[in-house]
Amino acid sequence: MKNTVVLTDLRTREMQDAAVFLAEQGYEVRTVPESVCLWKEAELREWSAEFAGELAGVIHPAPPAFLSPMLETTEEEYAKARNEGPMAAWCTAKVFGGIMRAQGSGSLIFLGSIHAEKPVGRGFLFSSGCGAVQMLSREINQDYGPFGVRSFYIQRGPGEADPDLKNDLSPLYCGLEKRYPLRRLPKRGELNGLLAFLLSPAAAPLAGSDLRADGGMTMYYGERITEEQAEKLRRHTPGAEGGGIIGFK
Amino acid sequence: MASNENRVALVTGSGKGVGAGIVRVLCRMGIRCLINCNSNPAMAEENLKRIREEGGEAFVFQADVSDPAQARSMTEAAVERYGRLDILVNNAAMQYNLFVDEYDEALIRKQWDINLGGYWRMIREAFPYLKESPTGRIINIGSVHGKRPTCFDAGYAMTKGGIKMLTREAALEMEPYGITVNCISLGGCRIEFKTGHPPFHSYRPPETRNPRMRPGVRLVEPEEVGHLVWYLCSAEAGAVTGSCIRIDGGQMLK
Repeated sequence: MKNTVVLTDLRTREMQDAAVFLAEQGYEVRTVPESVCLWKEAELREWSAEFAGELAGVIHPAPPAFLSPMLETTEEEYAKARNEGPMAAWCTAKVFGGIMRAQGSGSLIFLGSIHAEKPVGRGFLFSSGCGAVQMLSREINQDYGPFGVRSFYIQRGPGEADPDLKNDLSPLYCGLEKRYPLRRLPKRGELNGLLAFLLSPAAAPLAGSDLRADGGMTMYYGERITEEQAEKLRRHTPGAEGGGIIGFK
Repeated sequence: MASNENRVALVTGSGKGVGAGIVRVLCRMGIRCLINCNSNPAMAEENLKRIREEGGEAFVFQADVSDPAQARSMTEAAVERYGRLDILVNNAAMQYNLFVDEYDEALIRKQWDINLGGYWRMIREAFPYLKESPTGRIINIGSVHGKRPTCFDAGYAMTKGGIKMLTREAALEMEPYGITVNCISLGGCRIEFKTGHPPFHSYRPPETRNPRMRPGVRLVEPEEVGHLVWYLCSAEAGAVTGSCIRIDGGQMLK
């Protein structure tokens, strides 16, 4: 049975939790060491050779989100984001996708961001990288799908440990908790079950999908109503008692 | 639509193909254009000759948009020649038509630096001039493959997915200056030749084609793209920003 799962980057608490969870599910979890550069194909290929025939799947998280005003970003910042974002994802896809293609099965999971579709506001380096990797995932499904490789892109919403991307151009990160129908940010480990499912053959019908795992936060349009308007509506909503208007308490 | 006699446009990758069609239309409308080429100056000169025969005003500038210094000198050349810059059309792109495992590191990085990095660099360089224009416009030529996979060029689709997001971010950042930013998601277009290998080796398997459909596809003509660009450059399109507008002859519906 193919039982090894590779996590390409274990720097975040979220991925560390995922590693523990997947190990508890019976997977042999391996992590790409920091000494191996993710955007150097030869290094990644050499490190991964031992997994041939054993690979159940690979989980590749997007690098941490960050702001990068378009007019102030330097060529150096651009090159760093290019390498850590789309170039690392492409190398991961080529090297591990090639192994899974040869063995005839496996899941390639890109743990990305809602910013593959939704702009950050002063965050073009991160969001254009996410948009690119989302397309890479779809392409992998075309190139390697006929050989048993399943590819997925998860559009993850911001979580507890993520950097605050609040900016003056987009209200997306303002009042973040209230944008979630559950009125809280996703907690660490809440995507673990989804990752385990996507690693399994049961996820085959979802191959090539983009899965929005943002707790409904991008569906929020509450900022169209001011607090004052909400209070007025509350007073005229029988039985609402302050909780009748979604988004304002 | 409003008259544009005094306006100036810089169109990257406009020596041939889609870009050449765009500058021809803009010049016909009275907009003065910088025709940018990199690898094929002879075709750019040919396009310039055709524009001048039609009474248009333009000049050719050879530059590689993946080089920051060349991106800057090209922008400055347009302003030096015509005194202003109102419209930037980002079009210069490479399409190699290779599978994931046919790309090597250097090639995929080069493609990213032209197709996406070049668009960003040109926005950065053009901004100081566009913000002075009463109708500053940025139009990024994207592709239907920013949404639908190609099945023959993963690297190209990655850059087009990136351009879709670059457009949305740029629209937010440019809005305070009255500059609109839009993307044209282009389908198959009738051009002279492509830079990469033809994708015949991987295109849709014959058995997936509906035999009752009429054969072939309705290719988009470069000048049809030019007319859409012309609309987006007009004052009437001032409220259109952050959009990806598809022009593909209905291919995405099939």
